[in-house]
Amino acid sequence: MSAIVECKHVVKRYGDIVAVNDVSLSIEEGEIFGLVGPNGAGKTTLIEMIESLRTPDSGSIRVLGLDPVKEADELHERIGVQLQTTSIQPNIKVQEAVKLFASLYRQPLENPEELLRTLSLEDKADSRFRKLSGGQKQRVAIALALVNNPAVLFFDEITTGLDPQARRNMWEIVKAIRAQGKTIFLTTHYMEEAEELCDRVGVIDYGQIIALDTPKNLVSSLGAESKVFFQVEDKDIAAAEFKGLLAVSRVEKVEDGFVLYTKDDNATLQELVRFADKQGFRLSNIRTEIPNLDDVFLALTGREMRE
Amino acid sequence: MRGLGHLAWNEFKLNLRDPLMVFWSIAFPALWLVFNAVIFKEPIPGSGYEGLNYASFLLPGAIGVVILSSSFVGVPLTLTTYRETAVLRRYRVTPVKTSTLVLSFSISQFAFVVVGILVLFVIGKIFFNVQILGSWLLFAGVTFLGMVTFLAIGSAVGSIARSFRAANIIIWTIFTPMLMLSELFLPISILPAWLQPIAKALPLTPINTILRDIVYGVPLEDLWRLGVLAGWVVIAGIIAVKFFRWE
Repeated sequence: MSAIVECKHVVKRYGDIVAVNDVSLSIEEGEIFGLVGPNGAGKTTLIEMIESLRTPDSGSIRVLGLDPVKEADELHERIGVQLQTTSIQPNIKVQEAVKLFASLYRQPLENPEELLRTLSLEDKADSRFRKLSGGQKQRVAIALALVNNPAVLFFDEITTGLDPQARRNMWEIVKAIRAQGKTIFLTTHYMEEAEELCDRVGVIDYGQIIALDTPKNLVSSLGAESKVFFQVEDKDIAAAEFKGLLAVSRVEKVEDGFVLYTKDDNATLQELVRFADKQGFRLSNIRTEIPNLDDVFLALTGREMRE
Repeated sequence: MRGLGHLAWNEFKLNLRDPLMVFWSIAFPALWLVFNAVIFKEPIPGSGYEGLNYASFLLPGAIGVVILSSSFVGVPLTLTTYRETAVLRRYRVTPVKTSTLVLSFSISQFAFVVVGILVLFVIGKIFFNVQILGSWLLFAGVTFLGMVTFLAIGSAVGSIARSFRAANIIIWTIFTPMLMLSELFLPISILPAWLQPIAKALPLTPINTILRDIVYGVPLEDLWRLGVLAGWVVIAGIIAVKFFRWE
């Protein structure tokens, strides 16, 4: 099976800055691929080269077998794009926008207005774009990206600026689009979004892909341990007492409690509860921290993702 | 040319929904005509324009104001806004051709100017009995030339100006002198001698003077003056294309 998107040694410079530095990746049919990294890492530059909005300095890109530099028109017939800074005319009505964009394509959907129903925008069909909430505007952007029934879609920071509920709603929409058999290439600087949505994730930093795998493999490749936090009430107890609990490798006394480092947070928690019963003390403020993509980024770069 | 009709019709509707566009391109010229026609009634004695009432004298000027407001003011402001808010960018990731966008934009602009001019005619006919003694067809033709000229100039300003604010500054520094010097209501002959060549070189002047000649049924001898327009169209067109930026 040939790749839907294929980048080979793609480079883009702006003056002395190398925005995208020798990026190679390939995206397979039907997957959600996420490009994650902090702001300024080169995500938008890369996705916009793939969309033919920018021209690479060197390297090659193919999208559906097409060259974005030489075959931009044909490419645009067949892809769907949501731009990070997209905006349409503030006074255009939602259904006007959808019909207008459909009219630009060789083979638009027969009933582009149907999209308003699937994206829960039918109440807003006659509303002007500027009157919409952030989440509604983003759903309009998705509707516009879908009017030509594209095989592959590009979403750039699709949930940035949305409240948590709108963000979850957007995740469901992205999943529903994939369920129709479409391929999705998205960028995000939210690690939890990448974990939730993406089949595979490319971590990009300073223009380079520093890791590329499924979220699960990326996390487990860290070999990182989970942390179990808790406090002990009504009893003085030494940190060493917890050392023997199942799967615990290390115990740390912190300001108001303890941290257990464990390879198996579930087993450790069960043991901990039993231990407390036996010793006759109460546990409080228990929480566990499972390694995630944020930790992957930290381990790879030595920096927090959001700084 | 796929999408041309949709694009043009949408732009036209959006212009009508923009209160500023409607005010400056439709209401303001009409008010200007009404205001002056009510106050002065007759052309300045001895100006050589006594044959018709003042509203008829003003009509070409009012049309000039419509063209100025919608093409010279409206086009660059819309263009810079579309660039700043990435509307143009969104079109770039569709298969629409640049020529289709430009043409649709022009059509909608022309349609908007026509609405403004029709409003002037309706008001002028009903309330002031404006008259055109010369050929209506010629009148329409020269008006169209004026629309094309200022669309080109407006596009050039929109291409040069890097931002909405810059466009605004450029527009208003040129707009006011042009209103004063292009014989919209002051005959060029009353201007100081050194200003007259400048006034005659302005693009609005030949449109206005020729339209006025048609209104008065004066035989058109000075059609070479339209050459000034051709010069403006060529220069503005080159600038508009050369400096055009999508973002």
